[in-house]
Amino acid sequence: MGRYIAKRLVYMIFVFFLLTFLLFMLYQLMPANRAYTDARTEIQTMKKLTEEEKKTKFDELYLKYRRMYGTDTDNKLILYLRWLGAYPFYDGSYNGIFQGNFGFSYDYNKPVVEVVPSHMRNSFLIGIITEIAVLSVTIPLGIKCAVKKGTKFDRFTQFFTLIGFSTPSFIIYIIFIVIFCSILHLFPVSGMKTPGSNFTGWKNFLDVLHHVTLPTICLVFGSLASITRITRASMIDALNLDCIRTARAKGLTEKTVIYSHAWRNAMIPMVSIIVGGFFGTISGAMILETMFGFKGMGLLLLSATRTADYDMIMFLEVIYTFLGLFANLVIDLCYGLVDPRVRISK
Amino acid sequence: MEKKKENIFRTLARWFVRFFFGLKFEEKWFGVNNMAGLEAASVKNEEPDDSELIVSPGRQVFNRFIERKFAVFSVFVVLTMFAIVFIAPNFMTKYYDAYTETTQKDVPPTLSLMRVPNKLKNNIKMIDSYGSFSVGLSNDGEVFVWGVGQIGASGLNIKDIPEEVKEAKIAFVAAGQDHIIAIGEDGKFYGWGSNRFGQYAVTDTILNNPNLEPVPDAVLNGELDVAHIKKVTCGYQASAILMDDGTLYIWGNKQAYSNMDKFIGKENIVDVDFTLNYVVGLDSRQSSVYTGTRGIYDVVYTSLADKGQKMKDFLKGRKILEIRSTTKNICLLLDDGSVALTGDFLSDVIDIPKLAEGEYFVDIEAGAYHYTGLSNLGHVYSFGGDHYHQAEAPDVSGGAKIFAGAFQSYVVDENGKLLDKWGLKGYLFGTDESGANIAERVIAGGKITMTAGAVAVIIEIIIGVSMGLLAGFAGGWVDILVMRVAEVFSSIPLYPFMMILSSLLAQVSITPTQRLYLIMVFLGLLGWPGFTHITRAQVLVARESEYVTAAQAMGVKSSRIAFKHILPNIISVILVNITLSFAASMQTETSLSFLGFGVMYPQPSWGNMLSRASNATAAINFWWQWLFTSIILITTTVCINTIGDTLRDVMDPKSSNDK
Repeated sequence: MGRYIAKRLVYMIFVFFLLTFLLFMLYQLMPANRAYTDARTEIQTMKKLTEEEKKTKFDELYLKYRRMYGTDTDNKLILYLRWLGAYPFYDGSYNGIFQGNFGFSYDYNKPVVEVVPSHMRNSFLIGIITEIAVLSVTIPLGIKCAVKKGTKFDRFTQFFTLIGFSTPSFIIYIIFIVIFCSILHLFPVSGMKTPGSNFTGWKNFLDVLHHVTLPTICLVFGSLASITRITRASMIDALNLDCIRTARAKGLTEKTVIYSHAWRNAMIPMVSIIVGGFFGTISGAMILETMFGFKGMGLLLLSATRTADYDMIMFLEVIYTFLGLFANLVIDLCYGLVDPRVRISK
Repeated sequence: MEKKKENIFRTLARWFVRFFFGLKFEEKWFGVNNMAGLEAASVKNEEPDDSELIVSPGRQVFNRFIERKFAVFSVFVVLTMFAIVFIAPNFMTKYYDAYTETTQKDVPPTLSLMRVPNKLKNNIKMIDSYGSFSVGLSNDGEVFVWGVGQIGASGLNIKDIPEEVKEAKIAFVAAGQDHIIAIGEDGKFYGWGSNRFGQYAVTDTILNNPNLEPVPDAVLNGELDVAHIKKVTCGYQASAILMDDGTLYIWGNKQAYSNMDKFIGKENIVDVDFTLNYVVGLDSRQSSVYTGTRGIYDVVYTSLADKGQKMKDFLKGRKILEIRSTTKNICLLLDDGSVALTGDFLSDVIDIPKLAEGEYFVDIEAGAYHYTGLSNLGHVYSFGGDHYHQAEAPDVSGGAKIFAGAFQSYVVDENGKLLDKWGLKGYLFGTDESGANIAERVIAGGKITMTAGAVAVIIEIIIGVSMGLLAGFAGGWVDILVMRVAEVFSSIPLYPFMMILSSLLAQVSITPTQRLYLIMVFLGLLGWPGFTHITRAQVLVARESEYVTAAQAMGVKSSRIAFKHILPNIISVILVNITLSFAASMQTETSLSFLGFGVMYPQPSWGNMLSRASNATAAINFWWQWLFTSIILITTTVCINTIGDTLRDVMDPKSSNDK
C-alpha cells in the first residue's frame, strides 16, 4: 500500500511538472511584457527630461525591471525554472514557487496567495453544502428508480432527469433567476451582501444567507439530474449481478439485499463521481459564480482571464492541476476501500 | 428471385413506410414479403426447429430500437434539426452574421408589423412608421396603431392611444422610433410614447438639457394653420413640421441629429426628411440637398451600376421636387419624373427600375432602407435595400397613393382602399439586442454549434479509438505509455484551459472561422481519453475471444486483426459513446460561448445567443431572446441523449426484454 502511494506520488509530481511546464509555455505566447509597461509608467512620472535622456533612462529602467522580474533572458527553460525557484535571478537570489512566491496580482495589488484563500473558502462552503444536499437527494432517488425500474415513478424520474441532464447548467440558472428574482422577488440577483450595508453578527449572517441561498439552490438543481442517472445505472448493473440472486435465494430481506449487497457493488463506479465532486467544490462553479457575481474561485479565474492577470491565472492553474491529480489519487485509493477485489498494491 | 434490387433509398423508404403504415403496406407497396418470415416462424414454431428465427445482431438491435416510440421520435427530431440547420442557411440568401439594425432592437416575437387594422383597410388617409410599429390615419380622422406596442423595457405601450386623440379628428400623424405625433384638424398638437428626449412634451429637464431641442411653442399651443401644413415627419427621436410657406418647426434629440441647429429658424424650405444621423432639407432653389455641411450628398447616381455624377452636372437646370431619405441615402424626385439616389449604399440593394416609355414617377416614399415609387399609370415600383424582401413590389395598377413603413410598403387607391402591401411581416422569434432576426440566427448558430460538436467528436474518435486499440491490443509498455498520456490529458482542467487558449487566440490575428475550427480541435484534443478507456476495455475483452485466436493462428497481421476483426465487434459500444459525447461537446461549446470564450459575436452560436440572459432584468424583459434558443438547444440534446441511451439499452444483451 505504502509503496503504491509512493509510486503514485512520484508519478503525480512528474505529471504536475509536465503540465505546469506546458501551461507556462502557453503563457509565454501571450504578448505581455511587465518590465516594459513598468518602465514606461515610471518614465512617464519623470518630467523635465530631454528626449535623449529619456531614452537612456528608459533603457536603464527596462533592464532593471527585466532583471527584477527575471525576464532578462530569452531561454524559456530558464524562465520556467526561475518561476519554479530552481534557477537564480540576476542578483543570485531564488524567488519562485519553491520559495512560496506564486506571483503578484495586478488586479488586486496583492500577492496572489493572499487573494485566493477567501475566494476558495466561499467556493468550498457553497460547494460542500451543495454536494451534501445533492448526494442526499440523488442517491436514494437513484436507488429507488433502479429498484422500481420500469414503473411509472421510474419513467417519470427518468424523463425529468433526461431533460435536466441535457440542459446546460446556465439555462437552469437563468430559469431560477427569472422565477425567484424577477417574478417572485424572493432573493437578490447577485452579490454576497447588501451593498453599502455594514451588518455584524447575526444580522450579517442572515444577510449573507439571503444572498447565498439562490446560488446554492441553483447549483443543487444543476447537478441533480446527472448524479441520479449515474446512481440508477450503476445500481441496475449491480442488481443484475449473480450475487444478488444468491442473496435473495438465501432469503435475505429485500432491504439487506439492496442496501448491503447491491449498493456496495454500485458504489464502485460511483466513487469517482462522489470523490471528484468533493474536490470539484474547491475549484468552484465558474458559470454559476459568473452569473451571480459570487466571489469564488471560478469568478476569480474568469476575471483574471479577462483582465490578463497572468500570475493569478498561473497560480489558479497550478491549484486546479494539483487538485485534479490529487483527486485522481484519492479516487484510486477509495476504489481499494470500496472494492476489495482491486488490489492496488500490485 | 425476381426481387427488386435493394438500394439504400429503397431501404430507407421501406423503413419509413413500416414506421408509419405498418408491415402490410410495406408488403403492398414494395412487394417485400415480410409476413412470410413471421408466418414461417409461427409455422416453424410448432416444429422444434428454431434455426430460421435467428436474426443478425444488427437486425435485432434495429428491431428493438424501433419498438421504443420516443427513441424513434428522437431520431426524427434530430434528423429534422440537422436538415434545417444545414440546409436552411442555403436559402437565407440575405442573412449575414454581422447584421445590425438600430430601429429594430429587442422586438418581441410578432407577425403583425404589416397587419393594417380592418377598420382602416378601406379608408386610409396616411400611414407612417419608423421602427417596429406603424401608425395609420383614416379619412374620418381616426388614428390606428399596429405592430409592436411595447417600447423597450420602459413599460410604455405605444398602442395606448390617449383618450383625447381618440375623441379628436386628426389631420396628420407621424411615427418615430419610440413616439407618435398627431395634429388635430383644429391645429391641436398631440404626442404619445417615450418622451425621454423631448419627443412631444416640454419639461424642465428637457429645457435644461442643451442636447435637446424642445417642441416649439407655436406647435405646442396649437397655433398652426392645418390647411397650410405641407408635411409632418419623424426621425429617430426627432420630429419636424413643414408649412406651405417654407417655415419649418423641428425638435427632438440633437445628439442623434447633430445638424438640427442648422435648420432651426431656417426659412424657405420646400422639403425635409430624416436619415439616421442627419436632417436633410431642400431649399427653395431646389438644386441641392441641404444638410448644413457642404458636399455630403453631392454625388448622384441614376443607376447603382453606374458611376456617380456631380449634382450640378446631373440636374442641368432641372429642379428637385421631393427628397425622401432612408437611414443612409436619399432619393430625389425631379420635376421631369425621373429619380436619382445619393448617399451610401449597402451591397444588398435593388437598382432603380427602368420605366417604360411615357411612364414616369409621380411620388416616392422611403422606408428604413427601401424606396417605393408610384408612376403616373398607377403602377408601383420598389428599389433600394432588400434585406427583408421589402423592395420586391407586386404588380399593381390603379394605385393613387403610396406609403412606406420601416420595412413595409402600402399602395392605396383614390378612395383610400388598400390595394396591396409588401415587406416585413415580423419576426417569428423576435430580434436580439442588435436588431437581428433571432430565427435566422438560431439556424445559423445551430449550424456552428452542431458542427463544433461533430468536429470535436470526430477528432475524439480518431485519436481515442486508435489509441485504445493500440493500448488494448499491443499491451505491455505501449499500453502503459498510452494510458499515462491519456491520464495527463484527462487531468487538464477543461474550462480554465479552454479559456486561456481562447484568450490566446484573441491575440493572434486569425479569421473568426479559423478561430472556430481551432476551438473545435481543442475540444476534441481534450476529450479523447474517454474513448481510449472505453475502446481499451472492450479490446481487452475481445482479445480473448475465439475469433481473434483463430485469426492469430491463421497468421493475420496484428494491425489487420485490430482494425478488421476487433473494431467491427466493438463498434456498437463506440457508437453509443459517439452519440453521448456529441451532446456533451455541444454543451461544452454552448457553455464556453455563453461565458464569452468560445464562438464570439457576430458569429452566432446557441451559447453566445443566450449570454444576454445572464442579466436578470434582460432575462425577464426580453424573454424571447433566450427562451426559443434554449428550447431548441434542450430539445436537440435531449433527443441525442435519448438515442444514445436507447442504443445502449438495446445493444446490451443483458438488459433483454424486461422493461
